[in-house]
Amino acid sequence: MRADREGATLAVVGAASQKPARVETAPAPAARAPSDLDTFPKLLLHNAVNWPDAVAMREKELGIWQAYTWRQVAEAVRGLALGLKSLGLERGEVVALIGRNRPNWVWSELAAHCCGAMTVGIYADVLAEEAGYLLAHSGAVVAFAEDEEQVDKLLEVGERATALRWIVFHDPRGMGRHDHPKLVSWAELLRRGAALGAERPDLFEAEVAAGRGEDVGILCTTSGTTSSPKLAMLPFGRFLDHVRAYLRADPRGPEDEYVCLLPLPWIMEQVYVLAMPLLCRIRVSFPEGQATAMADLREIGPTHLLLAPRVWEQTAADIRARMMDANAFSRWCFERGFAAALAALERGRRARLADWLLMSALRDRLGFARVRSAATGGAALGPDTFKFFLAMGVPLRQLYGQTELSGAYTLQDGREIDTDSSGLPFDNTEIRIVDPDADGVGEILTRHTGMFAGYFRNEVATREALTEDGWMRTGDAGYLDAKGRLVVIDRVKDIATTATGVRFSPQYIENKLKFSPYIGECVVLGQGRPWLAAILCIRFSMVAKWAESRRIGFTTYQNLAANPDVQALLAGEVEKVNASLPEGQRLARFLVLYKELDADDGELTRTRKVRRNVIDERYARLIEALYAGEREVHVATEVTFEDGRKGRIEADLVLHDTAAGQMLARRSA
Amino acid sequence: MRQRAIGEVILAVEDVSLRFGGVRAIADVSFDIRAHEIRAIIGPNGAGKSSMLNVINGFYRPQEGRIVWKGQAHRAMRPYLAASTGIARTFQNIALFKGMTVLDNLMSGRTLKMRRGFFWQALRYGPALEEEIAHRRRVEEIIDFLEIEHIRKVPVGRLPYGLQKRVELGRALAMEPELLLLDEPMAGMNLEEKEDMSRYILEVNEQLGTTIALIEHDMSVVMDLSDRIVVLDHGQLLADGPPEVVSRDPAVIEAYLGVAH
Repeated sequence: MRADREGATLAVVGAASQKPARVETAPAPAARAPSDLDTFPKLLLHNAVNWPDAVAMREKELGIWQAYTWRQVAEAVRGLALGLKSLGLERGEVVALIGRNRPNWVWSELAAHCCGAMTVGIYADVLAEEAGYLLAHSGAVVAFAEDEEQVDKLLEVGERATALRWIVFHDPRGMGRHDHPKLVSWAELLRRGAALGAERPDLFEAEVAAGRGEDVGILCTTSGTTSSPKLAMLPFGRFLDHVRAYLRADPRGPEDEYVCLLPLPWIMEQVYVLAMPLLCRIRVSFPEGQATAMADLREIGPTHLLLAPRVWEQTAADIRARMMDANAFSRWCFERGFAAALAALERGRRARLADWLLMSALRDRLGFARVRSAATGGAALGPDTFKFFLAMGVPLRQLYGQTELSGAYTLQDGREIDTDSSGLPFDNTEIRIVDPDADGVGEILTRHTGMFAGYFRNEVATREALTEDGWMRTGDAGYLDAKGRLVVIDRVKDIATTATGVRFSPQYIENKLKFSPYIGECVVLGQGRPWLAAILCIRFSMVAKWAESRRIGFTTYQNLAANPDVQALLAGEVEKVNASLPEGQRLARFLVLYKELDADDGELTRTRKVRRNVIDERYARLIEALYAGEREVHVATEVTFEDGRKGRIEADLVLHDTAAGQMLARRSA
Repeated sequence: MRQRAIGEVILAVEDVSLRFGGVRAIADVSFDIRAHEIRAIIGPNGAGKSSMLNVINGFYRPQEGRIVWKGQAHRAMRPYLAASTGIARTFQNIALFKGMTVLDNLMSGRTLKMRRGFFWQALRYGPALEEEIAHRRRVEEIIDFLEIEHIRKVPVGRLPYGLQKRVELGRALAMEPELLLLDEPMAGMNLEEKEDMSRYILEVNEQLGTTIALIEHDMSVVMDLSDRIVVLDHGQLLADGPPEVVSRDPAVIEAYLGVAH
């Protein structure tokens, strides 16, 4: 596959060698040229004037979907923006937002943009310390907090956030107990805004008109697998320009539906929920809560989907779990149907009978019945999961991008089955591979018209990230295939080499392992070591079900993970994965960890990528034991609970040899 | 401290005695409950706590004494009277309709507030439909308040214990009571569920202004939540006062909290 690549030294795919650009479906606005609409607020008012009664977003409240038209959204934003002005917000200052995915987040963010302020979104589940870092680093003067829980977090930050003058809270529940001078209620903000609006009726429009495309609108946190998050400065004009390129690659319009499930601070949700609706008026629906998300999704029946690989994997695992509970006939239908569909998929066709009898029902059950374009991104998705959904008839496509580059800039065209590449670059994007090795794999460098304008208050990092002629060093290793599609292997620094010279991608093997319904998280080791080993975490829900069906008693996660039958089950899963790997890359030993890897312990990022340096350090004792050939190891460690308390865990772990490991041992003996 | 004004006496128990045959469950007990307060009733097993709640909502008729409820003296309360004048309760061993969904269980709490008769409701037409929508809205607000959106349509019998307790609280709230009687709302819960339930109780009390009388065995919960505590032992009133006074009372310590002999 890699042999037929064009020139291994330097490959550039740019605007010149692009596929024919597709026509944008959104009708060109009549009155104003698109170049005038260079900020979010201007687009918002434009939509509110031209399509006042079209539904812009929906939110499920009290069990009923409430729709908001463009006029209503613009009105809400106007009220909030005037409120922010009345609090003394100046152009160029920073507004922070923390909370769940709700329309009021989007309104607050747009209101800040109307005032010429920059916004920084903070993930709802961060601990106070992380929120404190972001507030202090961004110098936010106003923070929107959804409810008491988030307010508590921001108050706990206290004096570290020196610039913070106001905390606006949306949900008044439980707030009666608080009387902090910085607190302002949502209602109070609107009251102040209305008073200011009455006094200066054209202030809002003047503020919006003062915005320029070069103004930085979003300060987007980078995922920070290695260190504290940096803030990428994204100017409106560039961001919108890039999203227009996205819409040319994957057109959508006012008739389309999207459901907001990913965290709003994430770059792609900023693209999908802020910029895309403003540009093409795709409707966005906000589910009631995390627990109801999938049920709400089914009620909406979105035409476009973007889910994290983890969610796709979880969904696939759930389906298989349900089938384990089903009767023999249903199981037979399911297995035959999928076998037929997968076989047809390989030949580039669809199995009509299976599709009609099985897949259409599955798609409907999951809420995917109307999906025209589904995407996954943020991390790699296991090829088997990928095929699982393609066989189901969900047009799943891999995308690839970075926060600094306004999110995705490559997307599969979906015309053929392709589980390896991340597709073709958008028509505004140039990609090149530098320092390729014998296989043509090198670091991916990208530049396009929608790039970030540097890191906020971090000149050094900006200089490190960009080349002199303005290319962004992605830090990812990959290559361009014969068709000009980008194939991403792994992080450059994560491509590992064993002591015997075997090069491998830990992430690639981890994804294979995670396709097992029983393995939740895993870390593959082997850099500078004689052979590969893995730390596995059970997928609690699935293993618990498996244990129940076999009448295996357990109490906690730790207890279940330590069960010998469970360990044997995982050993079987590892053997299956080993069978699909080249001999040098097979896992020789593994252990099953006593806890889940957790973002609160710093082991994963908030977008659930493994932080290898943390793992190496925290589990050094276990890793040493794996490579020293020990059979058992005792550990004692500190964990952080969800409410921030710390506790201790002690455990005895059994270390396992795989068949490949035993063979290695025999050979060396 | 919590900000809410504790008002006048809303309910007074006066010299109440309750006997089952030869067993004296409650002997000559008097105490009162003030509007907007959280009043705890504690005592060892068999002290007469649940009997006392049953007397207050009219399920048991005491042989002696009287209940003064909102200024009206009653020889004994009756369940219908209690329910229709603003007393709601939850039970020690959850008494929900197991086969019905959470939503239907909560709607059942609105029965006494429905004005239209069976006929109109069965037709679900005109005024009955409007009424149902209004009641449903109130129930949805409670669902939102208790954060049980995700189980709205799940039959109660399929829910874990902690959630069933929350649903039962929801059904009592659906009656929009002035006085809410909670019989061991946290029994059998883990720490996290107890913290949640404590939060809900405080929020009900603060935001809806509901007066709450609760029986609870977890002393740390009782001491944190309640404004005043009644201590019963073998049907007799042992102590009555704010938590800091009651917890230092030697008689209480001996009878309930345990003392080394």
